[in-house]
Amino acid sequence: MPGPHTEHLTMSHKPTHRREIRLFHRLALQFEKQPGLASVLCLLLVCVLTFSFCAPSFFSLTNFLTILRQNAAAFISATSMTLVITTGGIDLSVGAVAAFSGITMAGLATFWHVPPVFALGGALLAGTAAGTANGLLVTRVGMAPFIVTLASMSVFRGLSLLTAQGYSLPLPEGASLLEWPGRGWLGPVPVPAIILLLCVVAGSVTLHRTRFGRYVTGIGSNEEGVRRTGVNVRRVCLVVYALSGLAAALSGILMTGRLGSASSNIGVGFELDVIAAVVLGGTSLTGGYGSVIGSALGILTLACLKNGLILAHVSPFLTQIFTGLITIGAIWINMSLKGRDFFGIRKSSHGI
Amino acid sequence: MTIPHNASRSADRDHSDSASRSPAVEMRGITRRFGAVQALRGVNLSLARGEVLGLLGDNGAGKSTLTKILSGALTPGSGEIMIDGQSRHFSSPRDAQEAGVHMVYQDLSLCGSIDVAGNLFMGREPIRHVFGLPLLDTKTMHTRAREMLQGLGVVIRDTYARVDGLSGGQRQAIAIARAAAFSPRVLILDEPTAALAVMEVEAVLSLITKLRDQGVTIILITHRLQDLFHVCDRIAVIRDGVVAAERRIGDTTIGELVDLIVGERFHARSAH
Repeated sequence: MPGPHTEHLTMSHKPTHRREIRLFHRLALQFEKQPGLASVLCLLLVCVLTFSFCAPSFFSLTNFLTILRQNAAAFISATSMTLVITTGGIDLSVGAVAAFSGITMAGLATFWHVPPVFALGGALLAGTAAGTANGLLVTRVGMAPFIVTLASMSVFRGLSLLTAQGYSLPLPEGASLLEWPGRGWLGPVPVPAIILLLCVVAGSVTLHRTRFGRYVTGIGSNEEGVRRTGVNVRRVCLVVYALSGLAAALSGILMTGRLGSASSNIGVGFELDVIAAVVLGGTSLTGGYGSVIGSALGILTLACLKNGLILAHVSPFLTQIFTGLITIGAIWINMSLKGRDFFGIRKSSHGI
Repeated sequence: MTIPHNASRSADRDHSDSASRSPAVEMRGITRRFGAVQALRGVNLSLARGEVLGLLGDNGAGKSTLTKILSGALTPGSGEIMIDGQSRHFSSPRDAQEAGVHMVYQDLSLCGSIDVAGNLFMGREPIRHVFGLPLLDTKTMHTRAREMLQGLGVVIRDTYARVDGLSGGQRQAIAIARAAAFSPRVLILDEPTAALAVMEVEAVLSLITKLRDQGVTIILITHRLQDLFHVCDRIAVIRDGVVAAERRIGDTTIGELVDLIVGERFHARSAH
């Protein structure tokens, strides 16, 4: 089957294109475009199958919903992190911003007796403001995203500790709305599972089906080229970082709600887990290509791994080691898959 | 490959009489200084509508400064730019594009990880509304991308293919097609045939011819002197920041052009 890449530029006027591309061809192209998706899916299947045999309680709806509830915050932040990384940036401050937003919410409700709805809104606003501050430093001042967000991680963690004076702030009695996103149920479905699903779908549609998402990908691939076509590159990047802050706030609300109290120490190391899952899902750390579905599968894989190892009575100390090794292995596979076609044959490279 | 005669070209598409009488581009006394270096010392150059001008000059002669000024990426120190008889001041590439001046950079400005149609429509993607949400209309994008490429005689069968999997000539064709889609009056091409295979050079040259036949005024920067004789009407040689010579293509030879670029009789004739 002649692939799309063997065509040469010719000037003849023979009938040019096939009206429809055959399904198989499209599938192969999809695989070429998303090599990470295939490998993370395989890894997830291997995890699920292994643990289903090793740990009898693993393969059940209850356990699946537990995994979703426990990791909803990670799913949400992984979605926005995918956008950030696709532009070629990084956001290390999501864990600290999550804690800061949780503290803001509890502080507003406890100290200032703000109605729960406004406390929730205040938390989301705080996160968005934090993300916007990151974005302004990156786009207006031109600082490297790694440095900006590393510094703001420190600032927001410190602000949380300062506000709460190192204590955790219990959510006030009778303000069940604050706990609802993190531990509520809608019939048989946990609320955090619904929120994470909405976030992942919205993120995926945004990245792959909107102009904004197109520019996010384009900026990661060739920022100057996108700028020359008249796109406001700075604004797109600013919005991406603001969204990352908003998503971090939502993550913080979910974590706080699940625990029933806001702690300045939630989400320590959270950003690194999220970044690992995003890269595991096939998103290019250098930008230009991202998959929100891949990131969600990445989080799900790491979550299943942790959950399964615990249920299989493996030492919790081993869990971290396994997680790290499997991340390295998966990314290794991704790298060797890249630049190969559906049949694993290395494509000729034209470089870019 | 046949090149149509000047007379057979469609003269004008959408311009008033006054516009068609005045030159498509006229640059008068353009200067530009970078610190201590006087890159341009008063360039005078004019192009008729539908003319293809080959812009020659050694590295550092000032040809890229001149094209950047014309495309709005740089502002001139002094001098005047007239497009279709109207004086223009470009402070950004956007201004130049609104006046109909487009430039295809040597690095092409394409996004490797995005497909052919996505690159052709970058920055002006068609939108359809689904439940009130503005989503990319990828179907229209691919259909129109195929039409655009076909209309220019470029054969890239699969508009779903990622650009980083395409050959240099195909990428060049996409970059030119993208600029052509804006219906430019003036198109500046920076080294479009550098590093291309022989077949691909032919294809890009006939793409240039095709655009010229549509009435586009083209400035072609190239180091491949033999290409100029296939597509250009006229050659301008920039040396030391001024137009050192202008020649009708029929009145010159590669040997003479080499002498003009270097600025002296050159006996080795490396370009032969």
